[in-house]
Amino acid sequence: MQTNPALEYDYSISKLFLYATIVFGIVGLLLGVVIAFQMAIPQLNYLAGEYGTFGRLRPLHTSGIIFGFTLSGIWAGWYYIGQRVLKISYNEYPFLKAIGYIHFWLYIVLMALAVVSLFAGMTTSKEYSELVWPLDLLVVVVWVLWGVSLFGSMGVRREKTLYISLWYFIATFVAIAALFIFNNLQIPTYFVSGYGAWTHSISLYAGTNDALVQWWFGHNAVAFLFTAAIIALIYYFLPKESGQPIFSYKLSLYSFWGMMFVYIWAGGHHLIYSTVPDWMQTMGSVFSVILILPSWGTAINMLLTMKGQWHQLKESPIIKFLVLASTFYMLSTLEGPIQSIKSVNALAHFTDWIPGHVHDGTLGWVGFMIIAACYHMVPRMYKREIYSGKLMEAQFWIQTTGIVLYFSSMWIAGITQGMMWRATDEFGSLAYSFIDTVTVLIPYYMIRAIGGLLYLIGFIMFTYNIIMTIVASKEIDKEPQYATPIAAR
Amino acid sequence: MELIQVIREYLYFFTTIALVVILYAYILHLYRSEKRGEADYEKYGRLALDDELSDKPIEENIKKESEKRESIKES
Amino acid sequence: MFSWLEKNPFFFTVAFLVPFSIAGLVEIVPEFAQASRPTEGLKPYSMLETAGRQVYIKDSCNACHSQLVRPFKSETDRYGMYSLSGEYAYDRPFLWGSKRTGPDLHRVGDYRTTDWHENHMWDPESVVPGSIMPAYKHMFSNSVDIDTAYAEAYTQKVVFGMPYDTPNGVALGSYEEAKALIYDEAKAIVADMKNQDVKDALARGEIKEIVALIAYLNSLSNERRVAQ
Ligand code: HEC
Repeated sequence: MQTNPALEYDYSISKLFLYATIVFGIVGLLLGVVIAFQMAIPQLNYLAGEYGTFGRLRPLHTSGIIFGFTLSGIWAGWYYIGQRVLKISYNEYPFLKAIGYIHFWLYIVLMALAVVSLFAGMTTSKEYSELVWPLDLLVVVVWVLWGVSLFGSMGVRREKTLYISLWYFIATFVAIAALFIFNNLQIPTYFVSGYGAWTHSISLYAGTNDALVQWWFGHNAVAFLFTAAIIALIYYFLPKESGQPIFSYKLSLYSFWGMMFVYIWAGGHHLIYSTVPDWMQTMGSVFSVILILPSWGTAINMLLTMKGQWHQLKESPIIKFLVLASTFYMLSTLEGPIQSIKSVNALAHFTDWIPGHVHDGTLGWVGFMIIAACYHMVPRMYKREIYSGKLMEAQFWIQTTGIVLYFSSMWIAGITQGMMWRATDEFGSLAYSFIDTVTVLIPYYMIRAIGGLLYLIGFIMFTYNIIMTIVASKEIDKEPQYATPIAAR
Repeated sequence: MELIQVIREYLYFFTTIALVVILYAYILHLYRSEKRGEADYEKYGRLALDDELSDKPIEENIKKESEKRESIKES
Repeated sequence: MFSWLEKNPFFFTVAFLVPFSIAGLVEIVPEFAQASRPTEGLKPYSMLETAGRQVYIKDSCNACHSQLVRPFKSETDRYGMYSLSGEYAYDRPFLWGSKRTGPDLHRVGDYRTTDWHENHMWDPESVVPGSIMPAYKHMFSNSVDIDTAYAEAYTQKVVFGMPYDTPNGVALGSYEEAKALIYDEAKAIVADMKNQDVKDALARGEIKEIVALIAYLNSLSNERRVAQ
């Protein structure tokens, strides 16, 4: 090989994003736990004056987890996987390395401004794109920088074929770019009138149109960030950690295109029983159901990759995280279409079942996948074995318990609430006043909050384990090929 | 207005059918061409496993490689 | 797709972009012209209501409240007539919400009053025992941003053709006129309130957030939406 022998992969950018993943993970989860407890104990709204109320904290929680924790995790993965499957090193390409650094630091600036502005109540109110327009522009810059890194790296690649993970990264990049721009088209009011706050703007679309665009965005942004980008990670980390090539490359091709064609057609399902026409609602539901097939292709592919290798599940906590992540992926891709069936949706919409569904996806699938990715990358980036396998085991079970408490309590709460809203007495009038349907849920809100707390505790154990791995664990002289070395401690 | 609506319903419907046909034709195509020996997809599955800088690429990206060799020589 | 596609990032991206765009266009665009027509007699938000809407957004009331009455008997019994697309024609952004921790508010102006809101926003528990809604005492001391409210209403008028300043309609006028209007509106609301600090503030020329918010909640009613 004509490659410079001293050349190694450059992990410096990936490391930065790893730190960000951990910090945003803790902050985002903590905020989530706080607002979960607020719903059971409303007095907790007053811990920080107007800045601590549920309404202020909720966008901070969602943005912190989606754009902080998840994106950092995805990018830590990209700057690690990208070089490896393309067989290039950023040490050879100072330009790409510089782009990576700028990307990271601008992103951190953006997140800091986002936190400050959301605390101050500067929001557009649109879910998952709450940021005011100047920050939206900064988002575009950060995104473009990622694009330069993505396509720039592919431009200099030594390996001709793009590995599966890269398809999903490309899809994520393109789709989020388009969705984000269209959803955030707005008119800054200061520049029209010459009065008021320069950061204020109003949406280009009104009412139902605005809702259409928002849910087109809302559904697909989640689809790509929480699905496509995380699939990109699992297609690399599961085969690599287990030492098994993916069960079927053909199936992965099929499920990629299947998912891309079908997923984007199902965006209507958030609008069921609102004011959009009937047929659109029906079609939206039907497509969400068809959606199961290609999205399960990925999960099935993952589980079959482990065929004959199930003993690894006992031996490696990382495999445990990966396999459970795939399982939760299947669960939430099954639950989503069920919820979009008209009659189910009539019951479930606006209830706690929806956050329940979102969280078995985010905590189980996204969270576990990113945690597993970090456990796989850190020993290679720092040339040390993982500090404690026992701690990983404990973390796994604590977090899994947390997730189960979370979604089971929200299932019950959601269905109870939906049933009570529509219950009638023998004369056909409503059986419950609204407040009855609130107070009955308090125990479930409590259980949910405890579930969230367990997950946060697990995440802190994870953080401790990672820090100890970096600073105190036994050094290894060579990058392990497959299974990550874990200390028995 | 009515007209757009009708056009769209048809469009939606036929695209749906087309998508289903395309997707199933596609998976058939994949398995067929491998059976006939025209393509070997599964070897790409190893991309994730043999990913050291020193591992040999499955297929070299030729043009880029020669450029790079030159730039290494120069430096 | 046919083995060459995975070797070519550019065409791969194009192959993805094409179905993605088509789906987007088909899903979104044709809805547009249809959904944007206002219902007969729908009035724009007045200055104070606009300011109140900004307060509603600032504190993300939409995180717990929907504004979308669905066409089911159980909902129309509880909240009133189901929501029509045209009723939202002036809503930028829309505020349908996605979660009903609290009740729907799309028609709350038809059955709640200024003094009810005043007590409820100050301390929900005292009005509705067992409520888990936070109290919003800070709204009784924060003042509204009149300039930004004007900027929003003005933009709605000149960019989007919102029918301000029509005969018998909602007035906006110049900045000075709008300012005079918002104080008149505030006086009418505060007259129904009992909080002395809010009254004193208005006398000093400050409009508190709570005043605007209540005006907005009151505007979620038939009175604003139906031709009189
Ligand atoms: C944590 C969730 C939460 C937030 C945030 C919240 N509310 Fe509520 N709201 C509730 C609950 C629960 C109820 C039902 C109990 C009650 O009436 O207090 C309610 C009731 C109401 C009612 C009475 C509706 C009726 O028909 O009786 C109004 C009006 C209201 N909220 C306005 C607001 C406004 C305005 C805001 C934003 C400043 C807001 N709420 C923020 C949870 C919330």
